[in-house]
Amino acid sequence: MTAVAPLPDPPPRRQIWSLGGGKGGIGKSLLTASLGWQLAKLGKRVVLVDADLGGANLHTCLGLPAPSLTMGDFIRRRVDTIEEVAQETGCPGLRLISGASDVLSAANIKHQQKVRVLNRIRGLDVDIVLIDLGAGTSFNILDFFLISDVGMLAVVPEPTSIENSYRFIKSALYRRLRELAQTQGVREIVDNALDQKNPWGIRTPLDLLAVVEREAPGQSDALREAIASFHPRFVVNQARGPVDIAIGHQLVTACTRHLGIRATYAGFIDYDDTVWQCVRQRRLFISAFPHCRAAEKVGKLARALLQNDGLTLPR
Amino acid sequence: MTLRTHYDVLGVEPAATPEQLDRAYRFCLELYGEGSLATYSLLEPDEIREARRRIEEAYGVLRDPGRRRVYDEEKGFQRAPQIPTTPVDPSSAVSAVLLTEPVTGAALRRFREQKGIGLREISLRSKVGVRYLEYIEQERHALLPPPVYLRGFLQEYASALGLEPRRTADAYLALLPRQA
Repeated sequence: MTAVAPLPDPPPRRQIWSLGGGKGGIGKSLLTASLGWQLAKLGKRVVLVDADLGGANLHTCLGLPAPSLTMGDFIRRRVDTIEEVAQETGCPGLRLISGASDVLSAANIKHQQKVRVLNRIRGLDVDIVLIDLGAGTSFNILDFFLISDVGMLAVVPEPTSIENSYRFIKSALYRRLRELAQTQGVREIVDNALDQKNPWGIRTPLDLLAVVEREAPGQSDALREAIASFHPRFVVNQARGPVDIAIGHQLVTACTRHLGIRATYAGFIDYDDTVWQCVRQRRLFISAFPHCRAAEKVGKLARALLQNDGLTLPR
Repeated sequence: MTLRTHYDVLGVEPAATPEQLDRAYRFCLELYGEGSLATYSLLEPDEIREARRRIEEAYGVLRDPGRRRVYDEEKGFQRAPQIPTTPVDPSSAVSAVLLTEPVTGAALRRFREQKGIGLREISLRSKVGVRYLEYIEQERHALLPPPVYLRGFLQEYASALGLEPRRTADAYLALLPRQA
């Protein structure tokens, strides 16, 4: 037996939460900002991270001016620690690391830089790091999602949003599966799985698993485990009634039955005029009107997520 | 996921009550319904048709006490003694009743009006759109969903009025003109 010094007790684990969804303009940033605000009100120490590549504007959602220091300053090593770019938001317990317009885009961030960012984010002295992933399914976005303890997908009850969220789920899962592939053959299968016309006829992770089982049986267990531990959580935003609310349950069932993925319906937020009225005034609705319908649902969502809970169908 | 049993297909436990079966059935109809947001981009049309077929098959067996008993015995499911069906809203019906005349749209409407219940109220209670409730009463069959879906709507409508849901729905459907 090799002599290995026992590891010191790990510090209390910070959690990384992230919110994506593939589609732009569905309220991800507002949802992230209000969820962060709510978690801080519940006594958590929270840092919001704006990883929105297209348009970093989480600060505007929080009613803050453009920040003097952003994630870009950390990536370019203009500051020494990531703590220095985390600014106060005016809400006790809630800080913000602003996005750096385009510095996180695939062309501009190198792999090592990304690893450094991910490591430092993990090391932040907070309870919860909450990342706004922005739109799209670029590798950087997927990687932030995949390192998260709680990966959320915002959807609005519209076909495009739901199509994109399925695409996001598959892209993220396949990226994880690709890392696990041990041979070029399996990597190739995974790489092609998202292509509708792939030669194996793979359309879902279940199909993919069946093909790997056939072609490389030794590798299928690892992939099956990865699929089993992949656990996206849906948040239905801008729900206008029972039919919209029910969509979350349908998505969860569809994921289980047809993708073989365990998902949770974390909660829904009502469509609420208060929200956009506040946006126009550059105020965060949940802080300006903590009792409006949308704010109440953000409260429910935060509590459900903290308890690792979700909405279930009445039985 | 392989849905082996009728219970899996509807997503219920083998001990499910008739009300739970009805709820699960409606949920599945919505999940695989025309233009369902959750499934249209995930499944091919023939897969959706197959899913619907299995739901109808499962519901048809499980919702019929006799067929369900045979099925349970065959598959080795043990069930608690059958709990009698309770009306959806106990205040609206002491015991579920049947119409004494042929169950036509007009008859349903007369019954509803006698009870002084509005379509909007039924819609809120049953989650079936007012428009469909009107079509049921007007017997505008072309605008109504196929009988397999219509059955669920009819049962909701009947429950909301305190009518026995299953037999009322069956009676209404029996009077529908056969489709070519």
